[in-house]
Amino acid sequence: MTGRGQVRFEDIVKMHGEFSALKGVTFDIEPGEFFALLGPSGSGKSTTLRILAGLDAPTSGRVYMDGRDITATDARDRDIAMVFQSYALYPHMTVYENIAFPLEMAKLPAVEIDLAVKEAARKVKIEHLLDRKPGQLSGGQQQRCALARAIVRKARLFLLDEPLSNLDAKLRMETRAELKKLQRSLGVTAVYVTHDQEEAMTLADRMAVFMAGEIRQVGRPAEIFAKPNSIDVAAFIGSPPMNLLPARFADGDVIIAGHRLKTAMQAAGEHDVVVGIRPGALRIAPDGLEARVELIEDLGDTKVLDLDCAGTAMRIRVGDESVPPEGAVISVTARPHDIHLFDPATRKRL
Amino acid sequence: MRAKRFRFIATMIITLIFLLAWVFPIVWSVLNSLKTDQDVLAYPPKLIFHPTLEPYRDVLFGSGSILPNLISSFIISIGTTVITMLMAVPAAYALARLRFRGKKFAGFYVLATQMLPPVGIIIPYFLVLRNIGWIDTYQGIILIYLSFSLPFAIWLLVSYFEDIPFEMEEAAYLDGASRMRTLWRIIIPQVRGGIAVTIVFVFLNAWNEFLFAVVLSGNTVRPVTVAMFNFVSVEQTLWAKLAAVSVLAMLPVVILGIIAQKNIVKGLTVGAVKGGGRR
Repeated sequence: MTGRGQVRFEDIVKMHGEFSALKGVTFDIEPGEFFALLGPSGSGKSTTLRILAGLDAPTSGRVYMDGRDITATDARDRDIAMVFQSYALYPHMTVYENIAFPLEMAKLPAVEIDLAVKEAARKVKIEHLLDRKPGQLSGGQQQRCALARAIVRKARLFLLDEPLSNLDAKLRMETRAELKKLQRSLGVTAVYVTHDQEEAMTLADRMAVFMAGEIRQVGRPAEIFAKPNSIDVAAFIGSPPMNLLPARFADGDVIIAGHRLKTAMQAAGEHDVVVGIRPGALRIAPDGLEARVELIEDLGDTKVLDLDCAGTAMRIRVGDESVPPEGAVISVTARPHDIHLFDPATRKRL
Repeated sequence: MRAKRFRFIATMIITLIFLLAWVFPIVWSVLNSLKTDQDVLAYPPKLIFHPTLEPYRDVLFGSGSILPNLISSFIISIGTTVITMLMAVPAAYALARLRFRGKKFAGFYVLATQMLPPVGIIIPYFLVLRNIGWIDTYQGIILIYLSFSLPFAIWLLVSYFEDIPFEMEEAAYLDGASRMRTLWRIIIPQVRGGIAVTIVFVFLNAWNEFLFAVVLSGNTVRPVTVAMFNFVSVEQTLWAKLAAVSVLAMLPVVILGIIAQKNIVKGLTVGAVKGGGRR
């Protein structure tokens, strides 16, 4: 199945009346890739998925699949399977009938359908539930049934619209891992919409960060995490999010609240910047920024400290080693290459 | 404790009063339909009497048999119901789902027709039917009944269709089903309850209709509601026969009610329990 499911979005615009839901979105998805569309709600990621599925038509721009222009192709003829957020299982049919439905529509012989349904059910471990109706299943089982219905017909492309958001935290983690394994074993191209950056980070081979109807950054999750290209992406990726502090850049150093920190950027001159430091990259060390511990959040293996650094809020993640008590004044610093610099005017990475 | 018991007793009494008021005419009809004419008029009313099936035999197989009228009623009611449902289901689906110009107006129009007092339009209807030569014909009566039952059925069905999430259809669409097939295989099975309720209401409205039937029908087509009045004349009222016809006319209603009971109750509690598979 490899070599199928290559997607190209070319300058897609979607208007809802005066409101532009997508403002010219362009990206490529390689065959066999697990591609995540990540963004806050209302950022256009679901609209992108719906346009890809053929459920909505773009106002302008083209969509290509495997080199063919499918912009005007009917959703039914695109050979795309989708798992909906609500699962959209047919409540009056049994699990078996639900999974068999797409094959029945494709007019496959009954024997083949039977084999395929059982195979799909086995892959998602619901073969013992085939006689039940969706209403008799737990949330996790319904989710698996929806997955089975999507994988049963071996479509070119596999779309998932926040498929884990209705599951509880523990089940979500389990299903996440299984989903990744399933996608790898099937070798299909998967496009995954989520607002949960942790989900996108763990699942995706590559991801696109959506904001306000635009793609802000495309790349491997680690890449985006390490080098966010704007203040907005930096603030969105990572939990807890990156500390963003107004500062002054002066000949390779930044001055934050009167304290100098070395950066990796070797440039002369002086101007305003926004400094980004991940909570995990900050460390407690002498001769750094002075900050007061406001609150300690214990996460078990690590602790997150809310700091007040001369009126600016900051967060630091520390291990189990010497944690200062609340109210203590500490000194924090960061290594030069852990310091991200952004232009406050353009909000872009420097 | 005492207040609770009092409330229970009060509720029971009020319920009982309503029940008696509702059940009295039916019991009265059933009892009188089993009496001779002398027994019917006896005063004080006889509680113990020799039941007879004479009135039934008379109205069914006597000279003025109402059998043809019962058949007329069936043709009209079933015809109205079938045509209404064939048109109302796709129309309601369209109103619930599709976005088209004038949808709001269409919805309002459908509802507005329900607000007209029927007496106000009986003369125009009569003139229309007379001009096209459909007075005293099945197609004439059914056409007029459709003008009421169709908007009513559409209005009732729309809410059932609206209850089904959009995603259900989109899923079916991506699974390769056409719009018609989605309607038949995915949507209609989920609104079965609503369809059953609508069928019952449309059938009953047509079956019980009197005002239009009496004006627009005649000798060829004469539903049982109109024919019943043969037993009421200036000189006398044939109470036993009238009661027998009433009971006969009530039977299909009661039978339909019992058959559809489960669906009606389900239909009225829509939203509370429906669609367990959704989330």
